[in-house]
Amino acid sequence: MTIAWAIFKKELRTFFVSPLAYVFLGVFLLLAGFFFSMGVSLTGEASLRIMLANLSISLLFLLPLLTMRHFADERRSGTFELLMTAPVPLWAMLLGKWFASLALCVILLLGTLLFPGILAYYGDPDWGVILTGYLGLLLACSAFVSAGLFSSSLTDEPVAAGLIGVVLLLPFWVAGSISEMVDTDGLRSALRHLSLLAQIEPFNRGVIDSAAVAWFLLVTFGFLFLTWRSIESRRWR
Amino acid sequence: MIRADHLSKRFGHLHAVRDVSFQVEKGEILGFIGPNGAGKTTTMRMLTGFIPASEGRAEVAGFDVFESPMEVRRRVGYLPETPPLYRELSIGEYLRFVAEIRGISRSQQIAAVGRVMEQVGLAGWESRIVGSLSKGYRQRVGLAQAIIHDPPVLILDEPSSGLDPAQVAGMRDFVRQLAQDRTVILSTHILTEVEQLCSRVVLINGGQILADEGIDEIRRHAGGGVRYRIELGGADPESIPAQVGALAEVEQVQPLPPQDGLAVLDVRAPGDPRTAIAALATARGWSVRAMERRVPSLEDAFLALIGVER
Repeated sequence: MTIAWAIFKKELRTFFVSPLAYVFLGVFLLLAGFFFSMGVSLTGEASLRIMLANLSISLLFLLPLLTMRHFADERRSGTFELLMTAPVPLWAMLLGKWFASLALCVILLLGTLLFPGILAYYGDPDWGVILTGYLGLLLACSAFVSAGLFSSSLTDEPVAAGLIGVVLLLPFWVAGSISEMVDTDGLRSALRHLSLLAQIEPFNRGVIDSAAVAWFLLVTFGFLFLTWRSIESRRWR
Repeated sequence: MIRADHLSKRFGHLHAVRDVSFQVEKGEILGFIGPNGAGKTTTMRMLTGFIPASEGRAEVAGFDVFESPMEVRRRVGYLPETPPLYRELSIGEYLRFVAEIRGISRSQQIAAVGRVMEQVGLAGWESRIVGSLSKGYRQRVGLAQAIIHDPPVLILDEPSSGLDPAQVAGMRDFVRQLAQDRTVILSTHILTEVEQLCSRVVLINGGQILADEGIDEIRRHAGGGVRYRIELGGADPESIPAQVGALAEVEQVQPLPPQDGLAVLDVRAPGDPRTAIAALATARGWSVRAMERRVPSLEDAFLALIGVER
């Protein structure tokens, strides 16, 4: 556990000394501000529904860029050899990296707390709904981050890793729209289950849907497991 | 301390290491030499457990590399060919991170970092960013990383590559000092380094061991021992080789291309034939420019063993 903690601290430290961190933070807050003002002016509601839904899709594209360096960079700089010849269990490495990426997501989301603050100043927002909305977004981040880790374990090229990550996550986005076009009932409901927006929707209504929570956790652990398998199998080649 | 037992490694169709076996005892510095691409790095990676062997087994510090990888990792210090550094961190941060993942307890981390920085000559450099360091200093940080947990076994992959001559000398002294109570494998293609540091040499080429012996034995194998290079001038240079060859002390004369009108001979003899040749030269009235005794260098031995004609 202390080793996972060491990896966690190292990841955060190396991230925040790079200018990329601040560009990323800036772009994200800019997007959030745009979605916020769009949502408020379109609906006239004191809610974050529109902003959070749009941010979840933006993060689907942005987070793989954040996680793409993880294993790809370790391999390219040779530090993977350091980690793999020190007594670092693979799970500790995965856990440290996953938690570090999730912590970055928390920091990103904390930045957007400015917007509920504005709502509270001018109106009377429902804090319960805002809280569950953020919880849903954080769960989505957790799934995206572990998909990103998996894509990063597949290749030594960070950019390729980023693209693979986006491609892996795209089905979760388009499944919803495709399901509308499908006639077969079984297939439609299957696609709707795959859809990110369908899973995150209850959170934006103020409902903590245990099935949706389980869905995000399943995707998270599924990708973490695949990452673990991919790293193990690449050692043999 | 280290035992490689019929290790082989295949990458797809490439047979990078074939049936490599050797042992290194405590306190020994083993020179692991061979041309680039010979399989040195692959073998070392198998010994550290970084990559699994296709066949065979390895034992380090009493533990099987494959069966008890964590025990082996705890006892090995490893410096890969390119030092494994995080460019964004400062030297202090980097070494503290290594101390943490090496399982050094919190209370001892600062002391351990201070000790290795002192040892490799980086005292006072804690806050320097690793990415801004020159090659020589990066190598020092790499070495500090390898010894921070005071391992009984050290595996160093070309530790002096890219260093300037003063740094190379410093690195050698340091490795020699480290080896006093440790077991060291040192891969290199700088043969003078091997001559200065190592008692034994394993020579590998094409993934196979060509020689595993003391340095003197390897030298003896190469080019048939001591030779003499003799340069003589006389009225009739053409006849000089035959006349020298007729001496009882001389076993064989190989004429080399003449230089500046002088006959140049490569002489092989059981004892030192130079007094006899000098006496002959005086009797014939020849001039003598050079009489040089040549001990085959490790370079010669190396090239002879890997089958390259010089």
